[in-house]
Amino acid sequence: MSETRKTIENVPCTFCGCLCDDLIIEIEDGQIVKNTNGCAISKEKLLGCNENRLLQPLINGSPVSLDDAIQHVAEIIASSRRLLIYGLSSTENDAHREAYKIAELVRGVVDNTSSVCHGPTILGVQSSGEPNAMLAEVRNRSDLIIYWGSNPAAAHPRHIPRYIKKEGEYIKDPKEDREIWLVDIRRTTTARMVNKFIQINPASDLEVLLTLRALVRGHVLDVDEVGGLKIDQLKEMAEHMKSAKYGTLFFGLGLTQSRGSHRNIDAAIRLIQDLSAHTKWTMMPMRGHYNVAGANKTSTWMTGYPYAVDYARGYPRYQPGEYTAVDILANGEADALLNIASDPVAHFPIDAVEHIKKIPVINIDPKINMTSKLAEVNIPSAIAGIECDGAATRMDGLPIYLKKVIDPPEGILPDREILRMIYNSLMKVLKK
Amino acid sequence: MNDEIVLKNGRVFDPMNGINGEIKDICISNGKIVEKVSGSAKEIDLKGSTVMPGGVDMHTHILGSKVNMARMMCPETNRHSPYLATKNTRGGVGGITPNSYVTGYLYSIMGYTTVVEPALPPEKALSSWEEIEDIPGLDIGLLPLFGNSMITFRYIKEGDVNGLAAYIAWILKSVGGLGVKVVNPGGTYAWAYGGNIRELDTPVPQWDITPRQIMHGLAEAVELLGLPHQMHLHPNNLGKVGNVETTIAQLEALKSVKGHKKGRSVVHLTHMAFDCLGMVEDGKPEWKYLASAGEEFAKYFNKNKHFTTDLGQITFGPVMTMTGDGPFQFSLYQLTGGKAKWANLPVEVELPGGAGIVPFNFVPTSPAHSLQWATPLEFALNVDDIWRCVMTTDHPNGGPFMKYPLVIAWLMSKKLRGEWIEKAHKLVQERSHLSEIEREYTLEEIAITTRAAPAKILGIERTKGHLGIGADADITVYGFDSEKLNLAANPEKIIKHFSQAKYTFKGGVQVAKKGVVGKHLHARVFSIHPRLDDGLSIRSEKEIADMIGKWYCHSYENYTVPARYREHLEIPTEIDSTSISA
Amino acid sequence: MNKVGVKVTLVSGRTLMQGKTMEKGKTSQEYFEAVSYCEIDATTLKALGIEAGDPIQIETQLGTVVVRSKLNKNLTPGIAFIPCGPYFNALIGSYTGQTGMPIYKNIEATIFPAPEEKIPTIDEITGDK
Repeated sequence: MSETRKTIENVPCTFCGCLCDDLIIEIEDGQIVKNTNGCAISKEKLLGCNENRLLQPLINGSPVSLDDAIQHVAEIIASSRRLLIYGLSSTENDAHREAYKIAELVRGVVDNTSSVCHGPTILGVQSSGEPNAMLAEVRNRSDLIIYWGSNPAAAHPRHIPRYIKKEGEYIKDPKEDREIWLVDIRRTTTARMVNKFIQINPASDLEVLLTLRALVRGHVLDVDEVGGLKIDQLKEMAEHMKSAKYGTLFFGLGLTQSRGSHRNIDAAIRLIQDLSAHTKWTMMPMRGHYNVAGANKTSTWMTGYPYAVDYARGYPRYQPGEYTAVDILANGEADALLNIASDPVAHFPIDAVEHIKKIPVINIDPKINMTSKLAEVNIPSAIAGIECDGAATRMDGLPIYLKKVIDPPEGILPDREILRMIYNSLMKVLKK
Repeated sequence: MNDEIVLKNGRVFDPMNGINGEIKDICISNGKIVEKVSGSAKEIDLKGSTVMPGGVDMHTHILGSKVNMARMMCPETNRHSPYLATKNTRGGVGGITPNSYVTGYLYSIMGYTTVVEPALPPEKALSSWEEIEDIPGLDIGLLPLFGNSMITFRYIKEGDVNGLAAYIAWILKSVGGLGVKVVNPGGTYAWAYGGNIRELDTPVPQWDITPRQIMHGLAEAVELLGLPHQMHLHPNNLGKVGNVETTIAQLEALKSVKGHKKGRSVVHLTHMAFDCLGMVEDGKPEWKYLASAGEEFAKYFNKNKHFTTDLGQITFGPVMTMTGDGPFQFSLYQLTGGKAKWANLPVEVELPGGAGIVPFNFVPTSPAHSLQWATPLEFALNVDDIWRCVMTTDHPNGGPFMKYPLVIAWLMSKKLRGEWIEKAHKLVQERSHLSEIEREYTLEEIAITTRAAPAKILGIERTKGHLGIGADADITVYGFDSEKLNLAANPEKIIKHFSQAKYTFKGGVQVAKKGVVGKHLHARVFSIHPRLDDGLSIRSEKEIADMIGKWYCHSYENYTVPARYREHLEIPTEIDSTSISA
Repeated sequence: MNKVGVKVTLVSGRTLMQGKTMEKGKTSQEYFEAVSYCEIDATTLKALGIEAGDPIQIETQLGTVVVRSKLNKNLTPGIAFIPCGPYFNALIGSYTGQTGMPIYKNIEATIFPAPEEKIPTIDEITGDK
């Protein structure tokens, strides 16, 4: 074994909200050469961390020094009147702190990617609350698991193998003692991993959830079928859910991104709350980006609100639908975009992207992405959890410390330091 | 030295040092109170002002996942309370659950300098340290939760108090805790399957141990370790009509615990307002039979010195209830007919059933709410030893901490109490003795119940809660002259002055002046690090690593809060617990 | 014009390849391949008179895009799936109904055979500044 080879254990994976912290990473000559325990995506992320990198700051596509790039960024921000700061979910918490500080200083808007993933979940919580779950509790106790509008086999590859199909303290034989259902509008790859696949009609989630709720409450319904399911099947589901000892509902973007959106979530919450009068039920959103739950949390303690925060009046105000990224772009309101660790050009509707093309964009990301191509300034950053440390929040709220396992490429800094430099530079520009 | 200050001519209330309203100069150097300063010290003339040690809040929920859940779930509670950013301070919101920055600022404005967050789920401690980074102007203590942890249960079941003590020591060091919090021992665990435990000797599902054993074992372990703060207890059967009886039974069960220091209490009963509900004679445990048990509990308190308490005073108006008592929170949600929002946050292994959060509104037209309001006041006005009785609202449960001035005014002014009894439901006059009570707290007593007593109970009285030489220079100056102003007759003045200190000094730095925070000062965290016998330490770490490996789904190695989040904030005190054998 | 198409409910979502290639890099050929197709069922394929892999054009009220067709035997007729990414986003609007969230799922769409059409590159979809 060469002297430069080393192994680091218990490394958290910074891809999805599972934040699996059992990776064994082997490093040779400063490069990751092996990732044991990681899923296919994790392996790609860690072993391929040098692919597609941007290695130098760019202004309008031309390489510049970091100082020049920062200076230019400060000038763009100082001359903007309604800056949108967006992203944050794929970086660590300390970077968030710096982003809010900039937003407050220039009275801008700051939103994170939850506005296009589980933002509606938060709206549902704001009308009803939420009886949450936590992953080890589910593993230790849950005897009925429902995935609804979620495809963990694709988006959270180790969710089922690591937390659900593993034995827990009171579920000694997960095959026998635990049942898994999947409710979705199409038979996804997850369907192969569950005991029961329940296919419902597209966009009928709200009706199905409300029907289950009525049945749990013991109401008699004069219908034969709801959302493609026979009423008898729904009755059976409701009864089964009531007789579970410890049920858990994992729900995905199938509920938040389809018709009904936050109303779907509200209905799901009320169903779980009603079930709580009979037995134990808990629920958990399947958070996508590894630190999107953290972005909501940092925003909440620092600004008071989880996302969609506007500092125009010198204090934080909150209004999804107004200060959310898609709206503020599609309305043509933002006149500059500071994007950190996300890719709105790849993930926003085309007309929101059209507005991004019209305004100066500052893009801070380790890799070249779709947004890089439209950005006036690109500043490459270190990959959190690989090239710099930090803290992130698992989908169930558990904070996890991210490790630095290798050095970033020469001259590349963590997001938090780049943002600090921007803040400091901005202070100077604003004083002039 | 440049940071020397002398506060001249103020009227000082410093009960720990026996100073009761004397005109006295206070010298500050290097953040501490000293005997004298050089001639170049900055002089501040406090003629006509009242001087007290900085306020100490021993039970306030200001951080952690339950507070963030409340903020996230209820933006409406903060929307109308903007707090503008200034050149020196950050912006935010100041409703029932202010954001972190404003939490610190609002405490500074009221003259509070030390607070304790009493519900830390140990495995989530990293987030709390990140939040503390953003809570300015305060010294903070954290109390990790132990009362429903499977690891605690294992040691209790095996009768291994030494092992339990070592687990406590490991947690305090790993997460930076100050003491031990116990919430509804065994009951919240039962909530993992939708149940609760209301009686001392009901067995905990799956474990065959009882709340009595859990509580007793934990209190013993605390005393074995010699922790400066006794076990901090939220009892079983909270919020149930007539629960004063079960609460007294729980306190009785702890009498046999031997304190590590003579004369020291072995348990702190927190938010007694929720633990000491009375019942009319021949009543049933239903809300319509509620009566105040304030006086009854005060009698017990006066006779039994093995415990201390804080009020958890209920104030009227919107509140945010949040406790590690998941089943209680669910019953509160059901009490609203399922109309309220209800969140539940389990913590794997450490609080399996989970903490609950329900926004609530205490209204004076409600007989039950009115009696709950009267109970802690009736108690506080009947206790003979205020050194064991601390003013809190269990922020934000009984009311937000911003209402402390109102609670102080109720304690100090019979006139104000009379006005509120008029506003409250008439049952207050039938089922409580509040209207008959003449007693009015003196300023000295206020200084005890808001400063000296909590510092002493928390075991931080060397540097906190007083103004003697060597104390931290945490000082509140109120802009009234107690010789000239009859406070009891002018309760609105009490509220005015206690809402807004004339000056607040934290560690010798002036942080607030007449409602304006001029300095954003980093928080500090007080923690206790017990030093164990090597043999015990080795045994315990192996056992804990095994249990974490088996029960959790993140690694033992990633459990401890890394130094980089702590070292610039933490002030650890090492204590010698090596006498506990392996 | 006698264009004949098939009406479907169009859904987007994550796939393992989309996740993997996104992490590799969005300018990679693999990412392009992972997000520029549409899964349809056998009946739809037949009705369109095309072979799996042939280009198809998808139209919604708000946009049009050409992608590669792909057979998914598990799909119910009437449902089509495109991995989340720029191709799908070309078909949707930004209206969020005051929630911040556009509708990414269950869109009414019509699929046409497009044998002559080339599948645009991602740059062609998102365009230049």
